Amino acid sequence: MQKDSFYTVNPAVNICFFAAVMLITTFVLHPVIVGVSLAAACAYTLMLKGRKAFVYMLAFVVPVVLAVSVINPLFNHEGVTVLFYLWNGNAMTYEAVIYGCVSACMFAALIMWFFCLNCVMTSDKYVYLFGRIIPTLSLVFSMVLRFVPGIISRIREVSQARRSISPDFGKNPIKGIRHGLSTVSVTVTWALEKAVNVSDSMKSRGYGLGRRTSFSVFSFDKRDCALSAIMLVCFAACVAALASKTISFRFYPSIKQTFAGWAAYGGCAAFAVLCALPVLLNIKENIAWRILKSRI
Amino acid sequence: MANIKIENLTFTYPGASQPALKSVSLDVKEGELLLVIGRSGCGKSTLLRHLKTALTPHGSSEGSVLVNGTRLSDIPEREQAERIGFVFQHPDDQIVTDKVWHELAFGLESLGMDAAGMRLRVAEMASYFGLENVFYKNVSELSGGQKQLLNLASVMALSPDLIVLDEPTSQLDPIAAFNFLTTVKKLNTELGITVILTEHRLEEALPFADKVAVMENGSITVPDTPRNTARNLYASHSPMFAAMPAAAKLSCELGMDNVALTPGEGRGMLLSMGLAPKLISDKPEKANVKEPVIEASELYFRYEKDEPDILKKLDFDIYAGEIYGLVGGNGAGKSTLLSVLSGARTPYRGKIIIGGQRKKGRFSAFEERIGMLSQDPRTVFSGNTVGEDLKTAAMNRGGEDVEKRIADAARLMDIEDLLDRNPFDLSGGEQQRTAIAIVMLTQPRVLLLDEPTKGMDAAVKAAFGEKLCELRNGGTAILIVTHDTEFCAEFADRVGMMFDGSIVTENATREFFCRNTFYTTAANRIARDVYMNAILTEEVAGLVREDKQRR
Repeated sequence: MQKDSFYTVNPAVNICFFAAVMLITTFVLHPVIVGVSLAAACAYTLMLKGRKAFVYMLAFVVPVVLAVSVINPLFNHEGVTVLFYLWNGNAMTYEAVIYGCVSACMFAALIMWFFCLNCVMTSDKYVYLFGRIIPTLSLVFSMVLRFVPGIISRIREVSQARRSISPDFGKNPIKGIRHGLSTVSVTVTWALEKAVNVSDSMKSRGYGLGRRTSFSVFSFDKRDCALSAIMLVCFAACVAALASKTISFRFYPSIKQTFAGWAAYGGCAAFAVLCALPVLLNIKENIAWRILKSRI
Repeated sequence: MANIKIENLTFTYPGASQPALKSVSLDVKEGELLLVIGRSGCGKSTLLRHLKTALTPHGSSEGSVLVNGTRLSDIPEREQAERIGFVFQHPDDQIVTDKVWHELAFGLESLGMDAAGMRLRVAEMASYFGLENVFYKNVSELSGGQKQLLNLASVMALSPDLIVLDEPTSQLDPIAAFNFLTTVKKLNTELGITVILTEHRLEEALPFADKVAVMENGSITVPDTPRNTARNLYASHSPMFAAMPAAAKLSCELGMDNVALTPGEGRGMLLSMGLAPKLISDKPEKANVKEPVIEASELYFRYEKDEPDILKKLDFDIYAGEIYGLVGGNGAGKSTLLSVLSGARTPYRGKIIIGGQRKKGRFSAFEERIGMLSQDPRTVFSGNTVGEDLKTAAMNRGGEDVEKRIADAARLMDIEDLLDRNPFDLSGGEQQRTAIAIVMLTQPRVLLLDEPTKGMDAAVKAAFGEKLCELRNGGTAILIVTHDTEFCAEFADRVGMMFDGSIVTENATREFFCRNTFYTTAANRIARDVYMNAILTEEVAGLVREDKQRR
C-alpha cells in the first residue's frame, strides 16, 4: 500500500478525487465517459493490488456486468428498433441492449472505484477529515474503531475459554443459542467494566475540560496543492463540456448521440486526465526513481 | 514543583462500615520516588486516587491533600490534568484511541493545544520512549509492555511533575516489567519528576525506590528507606515481609547488619561470609508408577499456511499428580501450545494422545476432561453469583451429589464465603480461585493454567500455590504456563523451558533451575557459588544457619 503514491497525498485530496470521478461516472451515462472511467479504474486497481488480485476482482465483476446487460433488455422493452420477439411476445430492442451494456459498465467502474477507495481511504484518514470539521466526532470514530475489534476478539476469547466448562452444543440449537447469549452477556459485563476504566483514563488526561483540538499526522504540501489545482481544472472543464450539451447520449426511444467539436474532445480529455491522476502520479514517481537509481 | 503532603486523610466508601483510609498522613518530597506497598485491598488504590480530583471516589472524607501547600481541591482541574499524571494497572483499559500517534496526542487535544505545539510534544514523546517504530500502528498490534509504555508516554506528553502509577507492571512479563520500571526511574532521575508507585512484585521495584511506605488495613507507615523497611517488616513479623526481594529476605533472616537488595549484593554478602560449599540432596522420589495424561510428540503448528511455524517438533508429556511449570519468553509459543493441547487448534503434524487415546482433528476439551483457564479468569464467569456459576459447571458434567461436589470444591479453593457475591466484584486472587473451582467441578484430569499468578500479591500467591498442591495430591495433572520462576521453584515438580516453538530443556525443578544461569530464581543467583543447587530463600537461609552452628 505504501508503494502507492496517491495513498500518501492528503486525505482531502483523496476524497475529492473519488467524489469527482464517481459523481461524473454515475450521472453521465455516455459510452465514452463510462469507458474512460472503467479503463482508468482497471488500471488503478491493477496498480494497487497487482495482477493476481485484479483477476480475482474480474471474476466478481464480469458476472455482474453480464447479468445487468442481459437482464435489462429482457425486462425493458422501450426503444423503436426491434431485434426480435421473445417467447412471451415482448420485443427485444436494440436500444435496451445498448442501455444495458453501458449501465453495466458504469456499475463495473463504480465497483472498481469503490474498491480503490477502500484501499486508499483507511480509517485514520476518515478520522482526520472528520476531525477537521468536528473534533469530538473524530474521537468517537477513533474510539469505535478501537472498541469494536476489541469486543469481537473478547467474544472469541470467552467462547474459547468456555470450551472446557461446557459441552459442545452443536447438536442442540436451543442450548447452543442460550450458550451464545451468555457468552455475549459476559462480554457486555466486561465491556462495561472496561468503559469505567477508559473514562477514568480520559478524565485523568483532561477530557471534557474545554474545546478539543485535533492532532493529525497529515499535512498539506505543495504536491497536494498542485494535484488539487489539476483536479479542479479538469473537473471544471468536464462539467463545462457536459453543460454545453456537446456530450450527450439519448437511449430512448431511439439512440441519438452527440459527441463533436473541440468542447467535447476537450471535456473528455479533461475527464481522462482526472481519472488517470493516481496512475499518472505513480508513473511519474516511478520514473523519478528510475532516474535516481540510474545515477547511482 | 511537586511537593505532596497528605494530612490525616480518612475516607469511607458509601455504605461501608469501616473506613478505607484511616487518618493517613504522608509527605512526599520533590523528585522523590516513593513506593507504596501493601496487600491487595489494603487501600493503596484508594489513596492514590485521592491525588487527583477527577479520580477521587465518592464517599465521606476528612483531612486534606496539599500539593505545594495548596489544597488539591483548590487547584483547577485543567492544571491537575497537566501536572499530575496517572497510569493504571491494565494496559488495555487506559488506551482511548485506535492509533499510537493519536493516543499520544489525546491529552493535548483535550487541553486544546495548537497543532504545532502538539507536533513537537508527540515527536518528543515518541523518540524518548522508543515508539517511533510503532508510531503509525494500531494499538491492538502492540505487546502488553509496549502498551504500558505508550500509556506512560501519553501521560508524559502533558509534561506533569508528578506521576502516580498504580501497579503498572502487574500484567506484564518480567522483562517488560523491568523495562517499564527502568523507564520510570529514568524519568525520575533525569527529569526530577516525583513518582508515587505501588507494586506487588518487589524484586525489581524495591531497589529503585528512594522511600517505601507500607500500608495495612487503611493505615500507612512513615516512608523509610528500602533497607530499613525490610528490617522493620522482619522485626514486626509482618506478612508483607514475604513480598521482599530474595536478597533482603535472606539478609534479614540471617540477621545481617547491612540489608542487601539486589541479587548482586546478596551474592557479595554470602561470599564474604566464608561458607563451606554444600549440595542439597533431595529424598529420592517414591517410585510410583505414573500414568501419562497427555502425551504429545513432534507437534508442528502454524496459524496460516504462509506463516512460520509456531510449534516445531514439540514433545511434551504430563502425568497424573504432578505440577509442571512451563517457562519461556514472549512469543515462544506457550499459549499456542495450550490451545493445541485443549483441542481448540489442530497441529498439522504430530500426535496427541489423551488418556491413552489418539486424538485427530479438533476435539472437545469438555468431553476429554481438559480444564483450561486463560490469563483472564473472568472469561469463565457467566452467572450473577459465584454459587450459580459453580452449579452450572457441576450440572454440565452431571452425575450424582452435585451439592456435595460444589461444597467440596468451594472448601478446597477457600471460597465458601464468596458464594453469594458477584464474581466480577471479587479481587484478582479470589477471581482466580473461583475460576479454578468452576473448572474443577467439570472434573478435569488435567488443568492447564495460563499465567495464574499474574497480579497476585505474595501472600495470596503462597496460598494459591498450596491449593494447587492439594489438587495435585488428589491426582490432577497441572500445567502452569508462567513467567514467575519463584512460583515454579516453590510449587512445580518438573519444569520445562520453551524456546522457538519447542521445549528445549525439561527436568525436575531443582536440576532445571540450578543448571540455568539467567532463567533461575533470585535465591539461586545469590547462592550459586556456595550452594549450587539451592533454589529457595528458605533453603539458603537454612544452610547458612547450619554452617554457622557447625562452627
